[in-house]
Amino acid sequence: MTDDGLSCSLKASYQDFNLDVSFSVKSGELACIIGPSGCGKSTTLQLIAGLLPLNEGKLVLNGRDISHTSVHERQIAMVFQDYALFPHMSVEQNIAYPLKIRKVGREKRKERIARLLSMVALEGYQKRKSQQLSGGERQRVALARALASDPKLLLLDEPLSALDAKLRKHLREEIRRIHDETGITTLYVTHDQEEALSLADRIIVMHEGRVMQEGTGEQIYNEPANLFVATFMGEGNALPYSIIPKTLVNPGGTDPFVFKPKEGKHTIFFRPEEVLVQDNKNLPLAEYLVHLQFKQAEVLSCEFQGDHYRLVCSWEGYPIISHCSHRPQSRNVTLGVRVKHIREYVDGQSVTKPLLPPVGE
Amino acid sequence: MRDDKNMQYKRFYRVMPLPSTMVLLLLFFVPLFFTLSSAFVTEQGFTFSRIAGVFTDPYTQRIMLFTLLQATLSTLASLLVALPGAYLIATYSFRGKRLILALSAIPFVIPSILVVLGFVIFFGNNGFLNRILMTLFKLEEPPLSILYSFPAIILAHTFYNFPIIMSLVSSYWEHMDGNCETASYTLGATKAKTFFSITLPRLLPAIISAASLVFLFCFNSFAIILVLGGGPRYTTMEVEIYRQARMLGQTGSAAALSLFSILVTSILLLWYNRTQKRLALSETYRNSNRLIEKKPATLPGKLLALFYTIVSSLFILGPIASVVVRSFMASSSRSGAEAFSLKWYRQLLSLERATGHMNSALQALSNSLVIAALVALCTVPLALTLCVAIRKKEKGSLLELLGMMPMTVSSVIIGLGYYLISARIRGGLLTSYSLVVLAHMVKSIPFVLRTILPEYRKIPNSYIHSSLTLGAGPLRTFLQIELPLLRGAMLTGAIFAFALSMGEFNATLTLANSSIVTLPIVMYRLIGSYNFQGACALGTILIAVCTLVFIVSELAKGGKYDR
Repeated sequence: MTDDGLSCSLKASYQDFNLDVSFSVKSGELACIIGPSGCGKSTTLQLIAGLLPLNEGKLVLNGRDISHTSVHERQIAMVFQDYALFPHMSVEQNIAYPLKIRKVGREKRKERIARLLSMVALEGYQKRKSQQLSGGERQRVALARALASDPKLLLLDEPLSALDAKLRKHLREEIRRIHDETGITTLYVTHDQEEALSLADRIIVMHEGRVMQEGTGEQIYNEPANLFVATFMGEGNALPYSIIPKTLVNPGGTDPFVFKPKEGKHTIFFRPEEVLVQDNKNLPLAEYLVHLQFKQAEVLSCEFQGDHYRLVCSWEGYPIISHCSHRPQSRNVTLGVRVKHIREYVDGQSVTKPLLPPVGE
Repeated sequence: MRDDKNMQYKRFYRVMPLPSTMVLLLLFFVPLFFTLSSAFVTEQGFTFSRIAGVFTDPYTQRIMLFTLLQATLSTLASLLVALPGAYLIATYSFRGKRLILALSAIPFVIPSILVVLGFVIFFGNNGFLNRILMTLFKLEEPPLSILYSFPAIILAHTFYNFPIIMSLVSSYWEHMDGNCETASYTLGATKAKTFFSITLPRLLPAIISAASLVFLFCFNSFAIILVLGGGPRYTTMEVEIYRQARMLGQTGSAAALSLFSILVTSILLLWYNRTQKRLALSETYRNSNRLIEKKPATLPGKLLALFYTIVSSLFILGPIASVVVRSFMASSSRSGAEAFSLKWYRQLLSLERATGHMNSALQALSNSLVIAALVALCTVPLALTLCVAIRKKEKGSLLELLGMMPMTVSSVIIGLGYYLISARIRGGLLTSYSLVVLAHMVKSIPFVLRTILPEYRKIPNSYIHSSLTLGAGPLRTFLQIELPLLRGAMLTGAIFAFALSMGEFNATLTLANSSIVTLPIVMYRLIGSYNFQGACALGTILIAVCTLVFIVSELAKGGKYDR
């Protein structure tokens, strides 16, 4: 038996949508599946766990084909959104459940339970009932129980979605720490971009039953393969290619790169934090670099976000979102964005990489 | 679709209910088949003449009409008594409210033979009500003489059924969104206008639903008519089926009559089901209810509250209390006054030489206990395995229908089916008792199913999926996760089945020969031979069982594992 993680290609059709995904998770990796609700991410997880029948495709875990293995023989543990702690059992009995199935002796069981509880920072919780636990504590017990079954793969189905924001952040770190301690190959489903970016070694973005992109957080965020991923993973501005001639500023005078209009729907995309805002000429634009300049943009709204201001501007009818370190002094501002931060899409798909070679720096 | 091996656990749930489905089919459809076939088959072969004969005979036509008439009148009378009470409970809080609510749950669990007995003891010529009135107004003659007449039937049905309507409608009313009425007031409508154009139309589905349930009960009423009807003048379908089959030996025409009864009952049940569905759709159930702290302010309101507290106690508690009281009384000599005595209990326990039907009382008590225990023990696993399959949606609704089917057929007809079977197999006493157990099981399956199924549906799929992913097989998951979570519901179901069997009279009387004795049968014979006190002693034991059921079902309401 090799130890090369999970590789799967799954096909299934349901009443309202078809699922056709293939991806792999390396051994010891923590991968996130992310996508809007209804994209098929939970279905994917259930197919992998064996809770839904796999009609077509293949599932290989550590070199073993488990496409048609029974759920309870797959050695895949799952933590459910509602935690699914058995309410008629204490914390100890819940964690003991998979151990008993594996015929772990009484003494060893006690020891394992104590160790697992200390790992999830719930020492001494053995005798509690699940009704007496808070949401975060239930979550930890569910995780400990899943780990007790010594799985080859751990599935987490939106495990933090029922918790409040602060607890979510804390538990996120905990999950990462526990993963690093145990080294269990983990597949984590979420709809929260921040969670995915901060937690995952690798992110799988899904949409309408398909994988849109697979890669590290940086790749997904900085080099989205298509417009869906670009707009789903964080905010962004998508403008038609046709605005380029009007806004391009090329201080060098040379023509270091070629903007070529392409067949199909040609779009440019950039993130709000890459936009420079100039009001009353207090903040100079980097005039000496190649950039797009949106003159006379009207500030429609300005929201204070704590560490920055989020501006929604309108330039010739196009909305442009930008982040700014201070509240703009005037109603009309000039916006600038360097061409190296701009990505090009044709019919939603990213074209040529690198799109705009860095020039002048 | 290919039966994938990894869907093993689904197959487990598919196989589980097969035995119980088979048993249910055998228990229910075989007797029914016997009944219906004897409606069509005579010595000369297959014929429609029996059916035609029954439907054209003026005598049976009159019975059908009378059955419908008494059910309609009883339902209307129950509505008349129940609706003001429902209004009172839903809108006001007052001192007797909790009492009324508690009392109104009693008719749901009380056996009909006990209603009959209570009625006779309380409203009879020598009953408590007449005695009280005679003492109060110094009368020589009992002022009320209502037993064994048409009004007696209607009155007994009303007493038996108005609390059902009252509690169903008022609980629906309480959970209706009160903001609609408030909105209507702010739009300038008067109280009366609001009631008739906003409240009543919204309430109507609940009223219709509850009324059709009561109509169904009255249509299938047996013991009340048999005893209180007092003869062929006031006979209904059910009583006539029993009379034809068991007194006249005309099983053929009894079967033909059954056909009509099943037809009407099925239509009523379908209709009731539809009203239930409409009910579920029409209003969003509001859990956090508007605060009812209003006390009735006006004099008529106060009087109404007082009236209902008294009427409920009198009508519901009166007969039951008088049964208990009467059981502890006996006259020392033939004409002497009655005084406290344990005579009937001593006779019951064979501590004293018993006379007449009291002879068989102890036998009846032990029989009933054994039968009820067997019924409870057999019905619960049967219903449980059915629930397993119903919960998984595939084929679920069909099985649910199957499980509820025995409700479409009255107890008398089920009894008739088993009687026809027993006539064929001619077994000994043990066989006869086994048939009683089976008939009781058929009657209790729908009730047990209705107790367990909602609890089963509350178990989230994720519990089962969790267990499977943790490495437990389907059987282990069922035994260690699902079963323990259903323990409470199973216990409630078992107790229900037990009580149902203890009080079952209609089917038992129809199928049993004279050698079979159960508690209600002996009670019936004691009533028939005017040994009311003896019947009361047996009735008190039944009341004790019903009280237990009542307490348990109230306790079970708050789910233990509700999150």
